Amino acid sequence: MRNLKTSTLLFELSKPARRAATLPACDVPVERIDKLLPKDSLSERLPPLPEVSEPEVVRHFTNLSTLNMSVDTHFYPLGSCTMKYNSKRNERMAALPGIADLHPHQPDETIQGMLELLYELQQILGEISGLPAVSLQPAAGAHGELAALMVAAAYFRDKKLLRTKVLAPDSAHGTNPASAKMAGFEFVTVKSNAAGFVDMEDLQSKLDDQIAVFMITNPSTLGIFDKQVSQIAQLVHKMGGLIYLDGANMNAILGITRPGDFGADMMHYNPHKTFSGPHGGGGPGAGPICVTDILGPYLPAPVVEKVEDKFRLAYDRAQSIGRVRSFFGNVGVLVRAWCYIRTHGPEGLKAVAENAVLNANYLLSRVKHILPVPQGDRCMHEFVASAAAIKKKTSVSAMDLAKRLLDYGFHAPTVYFPLTVPEAMMIEPTETESKETMDAFAEILFRITEESPELLHEAPHSTIISRPDEVRAARQPMMRWKGDGNVR
Amino acid sequence: MPYFYNTPEDQQAMLAAIGASSVDELFDVIPAEHRLKRPLALPPALSEMELAQQLGALAAKNDHAGSKVCFLGGGSYDHFVPAVVDALAGRGEFYTSYTPYQPEVAQGNLQVMFEYQTLICELTGMDVSNASLYDGGSAAAEGVLLAMSVTGRPGKVVVAGSVNPEYRQILETYFECIGAHLVTVPAASGIVRPADVAAAVDSDTACVLLQHPNFFGCLEDVAAISKIAHDAGALLVQSFDPISLGLLKRPADLGADVAVAEGQSLGTPMLYGGPYLGIMACKEAFVRRMPGRIAGQTVDRRGRRCWVLTLQTREQHIRREKATSNICTNQGLFALRAAIYLAQMGPQGLKETAELCVRKAAYAKQQLTAGSRFSAAFSQPTFKEFVIRDKQNRVADLLKSASAAGYLAGIPLGKWYPELEDCFLVTVTEKRTKGEIEGLTRSLNQ
Repeated sequence: MRNLKTSTLLFELSKPARRAATLPACDVPVERIDKLLPKDSLSERLPPLPEVSEPEVVRHFTNLSTLNMSVDTHFYPLGSCTMKYNSKRNERMAALPGIADLHPHQPDETIQGMLELLYELQQILGEISGLPAVSLQPAAGAHGELAALMVAAAYFRDKKLLRTKVLAPDSAHGTNPASAKMAGFEFVTVKSNAAGFVDMEDLQSKLDDQIAVFMITNPSTLGIFDKQVSQIAQLVHKMGGLIYLDGANMNAILGITRPGDFGADMMHYNPHKTFSGPHGGGGPGAGPICVTDILGPYLPAPVVEKVEDKFRLAYDRAQSIGRVRSFFGNVGVLVRAWCYIRTHGPEGLKAVAENAVLNANYLLSRVKHILPVPQGDRCMHEFVASAAAIKKKTSVSAMDLAKRLLDYGFHAPTVYFPLTVPEAMMIEPTETESKETMDAFAEILFRITEESPELLHEAPHSTIISRPDEVRAARQPMMRWKGDGNVR
Repeated sequence: MPYFYNTPEDQQAMLAAIGASSVDELFDVIPAEHRLKRPLALPPALSEMELAQQLGALAAKNDHAGSKVCFLGGGSYDHFVPAVVDALAGRGEFYTSYTPYQPEVAQGNLQVMFEYQTLICELTGMDVSNASLYDGGSAAAEGVLLAMSVTGRPGKVVVAGSVNPEYRQILETYFECIGAHLVTVPAASGIVRPADVAAAVDSDTACVLLQHPNFFGCLEDVAAISKIAHDAGALLVQSFDPISLGLLKRPADLGADVAVAEGQSLGTPMLYGGPYLGIMACKEAFVRRMPGRIAGQTVDRRGRRCWVLTLQTREQHIRREKATSNICTNQGLFALRAAIYLAQMGPQGLKETAELCVRKAAYAKQQLTAGSRFSAAFSQPTFKEFVIRDKQNRVADLLKSASAAGYLAGIPLGKWYPELEDCFLVTVTEKRTKGEIEGLTRSLNQ
């Protein structure tokens, strides 16, 4: 049960001489610290951390947790994020001492089980994508994009080709242009047409021999499969460029079609989405990348290799771009992905895509009578409704609807993305929701559109706080507690 | 299928509502030539029990810090994780939620982010912290990119050779793409000499990246090097060990402009290298160029204190190619773990942990170098790690036989430092006992 006295900060609970942790007595000779370390390196005072008891720690964080909506507690149709059920068995597996307590510098012969798992995951991800060369190193989807664009840059350098541009549609995730910039490329936006597909004319006009990579999210952020993709790939390949698939929406096509089969040369997965690694309140993710055999030598090192019956980390890769993060990768997330994939098997993964698409289409069939869905009657795993018409008529915005949904116990869809749809509400139910839940969501959405605009402008009404003043947060940034400013 | 709801009846009802004859029809938009016409070539599905058996069998093939005594460090550490951390971070309301885009239903996560940021500021003495980055290595790279952006000097960075070699490799990878130049100052005596840093720094240098305590466990002269950097108009980016701040002066007190760290020591298991926690804190003046999410305090419409994601105009989802970084996620769950850990330890607990590390490491160094075979490679004072030289130059064999005897004894250094081919890095955390240290000594001397 929610405790309403929860918003006290840790620092306000602090009282001198309270403490939680106790440590064992020192069992080696107790030398004076200033004999072991130079005096001028030592701080003259204790680190200024809060002083609280263990029961306070437990109550504080437990109560805070109850202020969150989560997949465990609520329907969370946050488009593009694939908020599906995170299975408890995967948590148990990832916490086994033979998994969680491995040091990343242990010699290969002491971690054969872990390397076998990671090797198998490389093979599996290669098979699902149709792109056989795999690096598990990147730490998140955006990090995978960056690593793959670095792979492309290394490939072109090696071929002595000067390639300066990365192209992506205007509906792309913001990470695409940002990654292109970090990888040293100039970014060029390609328009989408009214149907949400890549505008071929605009693409052709921007294609020249400076193109390195065309980045495409397919299914797109509008939840539709761009069937021009192989035609796009042909055009880009003819110019000597590469196709990058942003794999954020792989949930819709597992076992149905493979990026490598429709023209992609490189892609990343978001295992925290597609393979249900929990989202952790904003991370961790992981961003494994898969590429064609031609690009394989440029992948980050190390990768796991199998030599006879043994597994080893291969660092000896002369053309590799090098490292993009320390150690092997976000192994905890990768182990959960392995568990998820092995639990489903080949038929199960295909059924994931089928049920995700079925659920999204069903919810679309209910929602389209309430809010228009500009991209049509069918979708893949998600769809984008628009509140533009209702806003014009009643001044109720996508934000208002989103906030009011919270009052009824539904997490809001992703709003105002993609940027190409006015008053966008991007809805992704995932395969782990029931028809009953989706029916209830649609009914509530309809009821909300009948409510008074005044009520909606002020929503939410039942949450622990009402709408925060975000302008004030940005104009007078207060990014840490300073012992004052207790507005109550 | 384990996690679905849809019964065949549900599916039929849903298809009827959609107006489709089959689920397959929903995929008609995908051109037939691209449809996969065979099942994926993957192993068959496993029940929960079979999964536990198969993964259990793989896990059983691994040695781990519970089955062998772990003296490995180099950026990942076998520190103690209090039970409260697992119990609290294991709450589904935390780990199955996502980025707090709807602050009204994410005050728990937002308040944790704000508390985490405050704890990191208190620990480092810096003005502002973000809500975390991927890991220590990419945080160091982002810290350097921040310094380049702040100083308007995109061409050159000076890095100490005593910075974690993997962090330097990440920088090399990032720099290759943007055409920047990385100058490495050697650390022949275990630390860099301020005079060598001064010789490398010039008016094009964006920053000096220094690790303290460094990769060898030695203490650098941070204050002197920070002055050298500042005199040239460059910044000092310090990579620190959070546990060391139970005793050592804070990065801000030493003159650091940007402080970065691997936060794994703060309540996260070693997990074969990740996911971990990238810590980044800096001066207030740089905040609008800092990468990553930031939680800020504000008020709601009824004037109640609350928290939101703020300064989002730095970020990729708004600024796209003009963003300060491409980073989209933070390591929310590990920032939470760090906040719980620091709350549980408190000032006294963190200090005592650091003291135990220092005393036990000093004892281990003394024990290991008491015989004739081993010497300390460097004479510098060390924190919880130190470099041992094997006078017989048989490091690989030595570590192998120690492993057979039950000790993960150290990290060979030759692959990063050819001149240290006869050396290995030994780490001693508060968890190691006198008996384990003496056992390690015996095993290495056999």
